[in-house]
Amino acid sequence: MYIIIIGGGQVGYYLAKALLDEGHELLVLEKDAARTAFICNELGSVCIRGDGCEMATLEEAGAGRAEMFVAVTGDDEDNLVSCQAAKHKFNVPRTVARVNNPKNETIFKKMGIDVTISSTKIILESIEEEVPTHPITHLLDIQEQGLEIVEIKIPPHATTIGKTVKELPLPAGNTLSLVIRGQQKPFVPDEDTVLEAEDQIVAITTPETEEALETALRGS
Amino acid sequence: MGCGRVGGRLAGLLAIEEHDVTILDLNDYSFRRLPPKFGGTALVGNGTDEDTLKKAGIEKADAFIALTQGDNRNIMACQIAKHIFNVPRVLCRTYDPLRRELFGSLGIESFSPTTIFAQLVKEKLLEEKPEGEKKAN
Amino acid sequence: MEFNKILVPVTGTTADDEVIKLACQLAKKSKAKIWTVYVLTVKRTLPLDVEITPDVKKAEEVLDHITIVAEDEGYEVETDLLQAREAGPTIVDEAVEREADLILMGVVYKRIFGQFSLGSVVPYVLQNAPCEVILYHQYTP
Repeated sequence: MYIIIIGGGQVGYYLAKALLDEGHELLVLEKDAARTAFICNELGSVCIRGDGCEMATLEEAGAGRAEMFVAVTGDDEDNLVSCQAAKHKFNVPRTVARVNNPKNETIFKKMGIDVTISSTKIILESIEEEVPTHPITHLLDIQEQGLEIVEIKIPPHATTIGKTVKELPLPAGNTLSLVIRGQQKPFVPDEDTVLEAEDQIVAITTPETEEALETALRGS
Repeated sequence: MGCGRVGGRLAGLLAIEEHDVTILDLNDYSFRRLPPKFGGTALVGNGTDEDTLKKAGIEKADAFIALTQGDNRNIMACQIAKHIFNVPRVLCRTYDPLRRELFGSLGIESFSPTTIFAQLVKEKLLEEKPEGEKKAN
Repeated sequence: MEFNKILVPVTGTTADDEVIKLACQLAKKSKAKIWTVYVLTVKRTLPLDVEITPDVKKAEEVLDHITIVAEDEGYEVETDLLQAREAGPTIVDEAVEREADLILMGVVYKRIFGQFSLGSVVPYVLQNAPCEVILYHQYTP
C-alpha cells in the first residue's frame, strides 16, 4: 500500500519505521531540512522536504496514487487542512489525522476525515484503566458506526447486585457482551445472568448512551 | 480572529459603525493596533479552540472573519465557525491561492491577498498615467 | 593506484565517454572489473516498478554507447539499469553490495540560479561512499 505521512516528528518517524517494516511503500513529508536529512539517513530515501499543505508538494509526492494519508504534525490546523486536501483534491481513499486538542475531533469528523487519533484521549483512557475506582473504561472506539466498547465495574455495594440482566434498564442499542468474574472463565451474559459485586462487564454502547448504561449497571 | 494590521483596522472600522465587535488574538500585545477608542471587546485566546470561541460569543455571532498569518489556522477556525457554530457569514484570508481555491470549493468563502495584491500592483503599473504623476495615497 | 572493482555511474551526459575511458585505463593495470550503472529515477507520482518506455530506451542507449566506448579501449564492461527513487543512495548501495573499491563518476559544470552547483547526487556519494571516489569534472568553457 502507498502511504503518505505528513510530519516527520517523533510520531511520524516511528510510524514510518513501523510501516516500512510491514512492507508498505511510504513517503514522509517534513518541513524541516535537518529532520528530513535525519530520516533519510535512518530509513533511506523515504522522506522529502516540503509542506504537506501545499498542493504542489502533494502532487509531487504522488498523493494521487496514495491509498492512505496520515497527518501527524503537532498542529491540528495543519493536519486538518492537509487531510482535506488529500481527500478532496487527490481523492485519497483513507485519511487519518492526529488530533492534539481532543475537542477538535468533532470538526475533523465533520469535515470528513476518516480516522482521528487523539493521543491525549488515549492516555486518558489508559489512566482510567489504571485507576481501579474509575467506573467506566473505554476499551475501543468503533468510529465509523459511532460505537464504543467499554468496561464497567460493579462496586461492592451497588444497588444492582442480585438483579438479573433483564431487570436492568439498559439503554436501547446497548449490548452486554462479556462478564469477567473473579478467577472464573469470562462468559457471555444472557438475560437471566445475576450481577455480582466486583463483576467487570464489557459492553457495546454509544457515546450518547454510555452514562445511562453506567447508571443501569451500577444503580444510583 | 487575528489582531494584525488588517484585523485591528477592520475591527476599528466595524466598531465605528456600531457593530458589536469582538476581536481575538493569541497575544495581548497585538491589541495595541486597535484604535484608542475601540468600542468592542478584545479577547486573548486561540480562535481554533471551541471554548475560546464560545467565550467570544460565537454562538450569537452573525459573522466570523479569520485574519491570522496562518492559512491553515484561518481555514480551521472558519470551518469550526461554519460547521459547528453555524455562523451565517464566514470569511477567510488564505494567502495560498491554491488552498483558497480548494477550500472555496468546499464552501469556505475566502480571498487570497496574494492574488488580489499582485493583480492590483500589475494594474497600477500598467495603468496609463497622465504626465503630472499623481501621488499614490 | 590500483583497483579491482570499479563502479561507474553514468547519466547520458558528455562526461560519460571520458569517464569510461579513464576507468578502462585505471582498470587495465590490475585487470579490474568495471560495472557501469544507469540509475533511472522514478517520480513519486508513479509506482517504483512502473515501466517508462522512452526513459528505459534512453538508458539502454546510453549503456550500449558506453559498451562500445569501452570496447574501443579494448575493455569489456558489465552494464546494469537500476530503477529507484533517488540516484545517490542507489549508487552507494550498489557500491556496498558489489564491494566496489572505486566509484568513478563524471560531473558537468552546472549553474543553478546563477550559482555553481554539484546537484544532490555527487555530494551524497562523496559523503556516503564505502570506498574511494574519483570525480571527473568536465571543463566546459
